Amino acid sequence: MNLHSRLIASAAGCAFLSFLAQAALAEDAGNLYNTIVDIRMGERYFERQCSRCHGFDAKGNDETGAPDLTGRLTRGGSDAAIFNIIREGIPGTAMLPVAADVPDPQVWQTVAYLDSLRYDPESVSLAGDAEAGRELFWNGSDCADCHMVRGRGSRSGPDLSRIGENRSPDDLLADLVNPNESVAPRWWRLRVTGADGVAREGYRMNEDSFSLRIMDDAENLWSIPKEGLQAYERMENSTMPSYAEILSEGELDNLVAYLFSLRREEI
Amino acid sequence: MRHPNSKRPAPLLAALLAGALAAAQIPAPAQAQAQAQEQALSTVITPAFSPITWDRLVNAGSEPENWLMYSGTLDSQRHSLLDAVNTENVTELEMKWAYQIPVIDRAETVPLVVDGIMFITEAPSNVTAVDARTGRPYWRYDHPLPEDLRICCGRNNRGVAILGETLFMSTLDAHLVAIDARTGNLLWDTEVAEYSSGYSKTAAPLIVKDKVITGIAGGEFGIRGFIDAYDPATGELIWRTHTIPGPGEFGNDTWLGDSWATGGSATWITGSYDPELNQIYWGTGNPGPDWNGDVRLGDNLYSDSVLALNGDTGEIEWHFQFTPHDVHDYDAIQIPILADIEFGGERRNTMLWANRNGFFYTLDRATGEFLLGETYATVTWASGLDANGAPIRVPGMAPTYEGVMVSPPIVGATNWYSPAFNPDTGLFYVTSFDGEQEFFKRDEDYEEGERYTGGGGRYTQPMDAFHSAIRAIDPTTVNIAWEFPIMPRSSAGITTTAGGLLFSGSVDGYFFALDAASGEELWNISLGARVHAAPMTYAVDGEQFVTIASGNVVFSFGLRD
Repeated sequence: MNLHSRLIASAAGCAFLSFLAQAALAEDAGNLYNTIVDIRMGERYFERQCSRCHGFDAKGNDETGAPDLTGRLTRGGSDAAIFNIIREGIPGTAMLPVAADVPDPQVWQTVAYLDSLRYDPESVSLAGDAEAGRELFWNGSDCADCHMVRGRGSRSGPDLSRIGENRSPDDLLADLVNPNESVAPRWWRLRVTGADGVAREGYRMNEDSFSLRIMDDAENLWSIPKEGLQAYERMENSTMPSYAEILSEGELDNLVAYLFSLRREEI
Repeated sequence: MRHPNSKRPAPLLAALLAGALAAAQIPAPAQAQAQAQEQALSTVITPAFSPITWDRLVNAGSEPENWLMYSGTLDSQRHSLLDAVNTENVTELEMKWAYQIPVIDRAETVPLVVDGIMFITEAPSNVTAVDARTGRPYWRYDHPLPEDLRICCGRNNRGVAILGETLFMSTLDAHLVAIDARTGNLLWDTEVAEYSSGYSKTAAPLIVKDKVITGIAGGEFGIRGFIDAYDPATGELIWRTHTIPGPGEFGNDTWLGDSWATGGSATWITGSYDPELNQIYWGTGNPGPDWNGDVRLGDNLYSDSVLALNGDTGEIEWHFQFTPHDVHDYDAIQIPILADIEFGGERRNTMLWANRNGFFYTLDRATGEFLLGETYATVTWASGLDANGAPIRVPGMAPTYEGVMVSPPIVGATNWYSPAFNPDTGLFYVTSFDGEQEFFKRDEDYEEGERYTGGGGRYTQPMDAFHSAIRAIDPTTVNIAWEFPIMPRSSAGITTTAGGLLFSGSVDGYFFALDAASGEELWNISLGARVHAAPMTYAVDGEQFVTIASGNVVFSFGLRD
């Protein structure tokens, strides 16, 4: 580390300390730059400086390896940690520090914008009752015929053990009433006839340029080369029906409350 | 007997001497034979290489055991005359060695091989020399970098150029360095531009006669692009040709007000050279800001163009602009492929170009005349090309504040990854992508060293919903002869060989060989990590190797012993 960057680092350290001092003085004093205007300014800065890698929607980019910033941040456990990452970068990665002449408030505004993309699950008020939702999930519906929660249930749909961590209540409701809106490629279906002439159908566990892997309805795993395929059909719709007509509004709210509660125990 | 430690003349002197003696030069196969004999008798394990003269570079195709420049030959066809590995025996390929790049990042390198020594560039801006038979290192040059780099798209380096016994490499802090090919010693280090203003360098330079020709990156930072020529002995700038005309120069009035001064038009991939026409061909990048054209009304010359420069003076002899007033980031940062083909009953000096904007072009490279063009991937922003090759725009496709869906997406129908041309099949090969993306416009003021893009893009579907393919295009009809589908989004380059093979890689970590004539798959191996580079091939002691970087590793394959 050269002298110049050491000075930047120590400046960031000072900001961190002053942040801690303020936080110690007032319970709510985290990021001081967190008004609606600050968030808007932070968004503009993000779009300009960060979106090339992290995406215009901050949802990350597998190609650049830039992580999704809208959910749980693996490195940014606090505002100060996020600030320091933006200020100093992550050495040895494509995450470069912002220019030294970018003022601290601008970085804090960016932190505020990133904070605005997430929320404190404790602060969310839910219309439904999680306990009633749990009962509905396990005993009053067919959810567990496909889904699994902590080892209980089935394998024919996404594991919901931690679904509350990255899906908001609004997202969860949308998933229930309009499942075809966004189906992850892992849950597309493939119907293929291999070189052996046998037709197989199942969930698309993985597909690459030269082979594919499926789990059929008997939960057998098959890895099939694409060379010599006699038939190939891909179905990108969800196998889950819409529950808009199947469940009442109150039942949907209860189910959402239960799903939203599914997260790591320590949280 | 040649020995690596023996006293030798200064590298450039040696190059000039060798150049002067070119007429008496031993033909390549004989040379290889002599070398093999010498190595058999040698007490040292490592081979030594003879200096690279300009004549050797002009005739690089005739010594296919070596890979002497980024695109293989000055015409950038990426076609090797090696045929020991061919359609009959390609299934016998096996891994011979792997070189793990110690700095974890993605490798975009195309190594050079000179007489059994391979030069591999590494992220962020390093280069290493290894024994091309074993992958074991001789030396490594680490380029120190400042911590506050301004780079848009990752810590990349794509390769070196060589002349005499000197390597030339671009660095992320916008320097050009010269390195002794035998030791890795730094010979000179020239600042090409000020990195803190947003300039950077990632591409392999191109040697043209006695000059090092090199471009610049930074099109997302409001730079003003250029192509430079440097003295290989001293690193001194000989000429600079700006890719945006200054006040009073032709084309400056294609920029609103002062927007020319921050208009981008970077030159971040290697060009090509025609010795007979004495023209350097180089592609230029997007105008800046990328997605908000309001502040730079006009055609924005010479952004998204190919420039033909005089090989001695750098003067612009002609230009062809693929995408006037671009608002989608459709850089013409592709490698110009020069091919002499039968066209309309006569043999033409053509340039073949599959552009990021989704159109394939056949141009006359002597004049820049547009001959033919057609889409080769999904395109919605333009409905076709007019008689002069200018795009016929579809209204309502410019980015908006709310977002508008357009194909190709920002990454383009293709991008910087190397295409190839195989004179045996007459086909041009390109890695192509059919995708779409929402384009957004934003208002931004230029600030030196800050990003200046005026918007961005967003996918609304998972990547797997799209489609990538290797497409073979007949440049005389611009029809697609065949395509080989691979998973999206592939960013691998292509190389073909006299063995009838096409080599490429895929996003899901395969390295594979196709029949170059039919597109039929002949061989593949899973290397496990994204291929983000182009293959190259070489031979040592008569044994052909095929090399590709996948993830962080350079792999070399050869026929089973």
